[in-house]
Amino acid sequence: MRVRVKLIATYRQHLPPGTRGDTVELEVAAGSTVADVLQPFGIPLDDSSVIVLNGRTVPLDTPLQEGDTVAAFSAIAGGGEAGKGMPDSSVLESPIL
Amino acid sequence: MYYGWHGRILRVDLRRRQVQAETIDPQRAKDYLGGRGWAIRYLYDEVDPLVDPLSPQNKLIFATGPLTATPAPTGNRYMVITKSPLTGALAHSNSGGDFPTWMKRTGFDMFIFEGRASEPVYVWINEDRVEIRPAAHLWGKDVHETTDLLLAETDPEAKVACIGPAGERLALMAAIMNDKHRAAARSGVGAVMGSKNLKAVVVMGRKDPRMFDEAGMRELSVTISKEVGADVKKGSNLRIYGTAYVPQVTNTLGILPTYNWQTGVFEHVSQIDGVALREKYLVRHKPCYRCPIACGRVTRIPDGKYAGEGEGPEYETIASLGSACGVSDLAALTKANYLCNELGLDTISAGMTVAAAMEMYEKGYIPEEHIGQPLRFGDGDALIEMIRKMAYREGFGNELAEGSYRLAEKYGHPEIAVTARKQEFPGYDPRGSQGMGLLYATSNKGASHMEGDVAYEEVFGVPVKIDPLTSEDKAELVKRFQDAFALIDASGLCVFLAVRYVFTKERMILPTRLAQLMKLTTGVDYTPEEVLKAGERIYNLERLFVLKAGSTEDTLPPRMLYEPLPEGPAKGKVVELDKMLPAYYQYRGWDAKGWPTLQKLQELGLA
Repeated sequence: MRVRVKLIATYRQHLPPGTRGDTVELEVAAGSTVADVLQPFGIPLDDSSVIVLNGRTVPLDTPLQEGDTVAAFSAIAGGGEAGKGMPDSSVLESPIL
Repeated sequence: MYYGWHGRILRVDLRRRQVQAETIDPQRAKDYLGGRGWAIRYLYDEVDPLVDPLSPQNKLIFATGPLTATPAPTGNRYMVITKSPLTGALAHSNSGGDFPTWMKRTGFDMFIFEGRASEPVYVWINEDRVEIRPAAHLWGKDVHETTDLLLAETDPEAKVACIGPAGERLALMAAIMNDKHRAAARSGVGAVMGSKNLKAVVVMGRKDPRMFDEAGMRELSVTISKEVGADVKKGSNLRIYGTAYVPQVTNTLGILPTYNWQTGVFEHVSQIDGVALREKYLVRHKPCYRCPIACGRVTRIPDGKYAGEGEGPEYETIASLGSACGVSDLAALTKANYLCNELGLDTISAGMTVAAAMEMYEKGYIPEEHIGQPLRFGDGDALIEMIRKMAYREGFGNELAEGSYRLAEKYGHPEIAVTARKQEFPGYDPRGSQGMGLLYATSNKGASHMEGDVAYEEVFGVPVKIDPLTSEDKAELVKRFQDAFALIDASGLCVFLAVRYVFTKERMILPTRLAQLMKLTTGVDYTPEEVLKAGERIYNLERLFVLKAGSTEDTLPPRMLYEPLPEGPAKGKVVELDKMLPAYYQYRGWDAKGWPTLQKLQELGLA
């Protein structure tokens, strides 16, 4: 069956090179779940991502139907709780891709 | 001896042209934290809630928090508190940039402007040297010109907050702009400033607040900066796209206000989102003073009829001037954004008011001859012209300058205005984010996302994603968020960072780190429970002011309560306010009509 995967903002970098826009259409096996279709893209399947099915909040093991859209974006908005690395002034002024 | 706070308040009597320095009582300083908290305590004590907001009897308060101008990252916010001419209740508008830190460095935590000057003036505050100077030569000038002229005649290193033509003409959605592009935008604070003949406030100083534990503060601030740095390296949406990444998110959830809230899905969203902005017009990121997140953007439209340079658009602006007006031309809406900044308008209320006018025009409720031109959804040129007229109250702009509530009522179709307490909604359709609906209905300042933004959970998954479509369990969530945001606004931190420090993983709101920062700064032995209780105290005192001002109805417009969303993930939904409101009052300790009970007031030390 055909489903669509939409990866928003920073998660666009997980789309295959050359993708136009932020959405790809995929052929997946019947019975595939939300988690199954996102796995190959390398999207973190934890609280650091927001993942919705047709715009709705569902468990990640929800099976997909023909024509469904799974969308994901990062919940990281700049100020998390753990990690390393200190931003310096050059980082502040230069665009990060 | 104060730490964190200076403990000093500057009172400026514009009528008598007198200034006076006062000291705040230590117990009051502690109980109300600072910023939004100190300001409501003073406003409540000194201003009759029934006063005409544009009369000399109203007071205009600028307030910093204990963390403003400290090493704490994002500790660079100030608030403007007054009685609002738009809502007839309370205004508390927050802004960043550089101005807040410079303001605190004058050696005063808070300025209170009272009375009305007999002619235009500005106030130049260079530490203890305070001058009320004539501003006739600035009257009529836009925000950029005013700022440049003031820096030339005071000190090039000083910082300016001022009004534009919109504030001078008492447009009810006039903003107070600082550092040219930053806005204490909402609820008509700029009109109050205009009513006082106060064109600008210029600040300069070198009095950094004393830290109670300098070394501890430095250590914690470095830790926080490192954490933000790690996020940025992982790929922070705010850093890379600014808030402009959000239209794709809300559109995916079906809650992007579109065609004046007639739907929540905009077919042209990809033309006005952060990716398009970055590819076409981004010049560079621009942080507020010492902010490691750097969500601001300098943009430039290189050529064509919309050519110009400025900052933005932010998400809210894209939603109001863009999708709500059906405008898919990013250059046009960016130009409209620049114009709002230059003329001193709140982009949310300005855009949403034009959107309401567009719907009324298309439905034949406003004749074309009243407007002077066609005003269809999607017409970027018309949007720009309406923004200009609104700021100058020129022609039909005189109606627009009253906001959408009064506009729709005047033309006999109050159902078109999407407002709460007469203030336009921000960019989240509450039919598809039920908690936001309860928030808008109950907010002290009228519809606002900044008074307890439960979209963090319903939309952004911070700290966890919850179902935005259900009204269950939202009452307590909204109450907790409102108290936490009152705390953040009192502290002087920016919500974008502070919101991370008010949750635990279990989703309880327990501001451990915020309390720690406050303790290191002020030396007061704050616990997380105490600072959160202070947030609740602030919220309840504001509520008393709002109720006494006569704004007693916690409700939403008919479109939100009776017109289901026609498409998208939230199709068929209305806001289930009646299911949430009684439970909310209960969690608040308020009676069935929404008045704080004596018991609650006693518990908070307010009775």
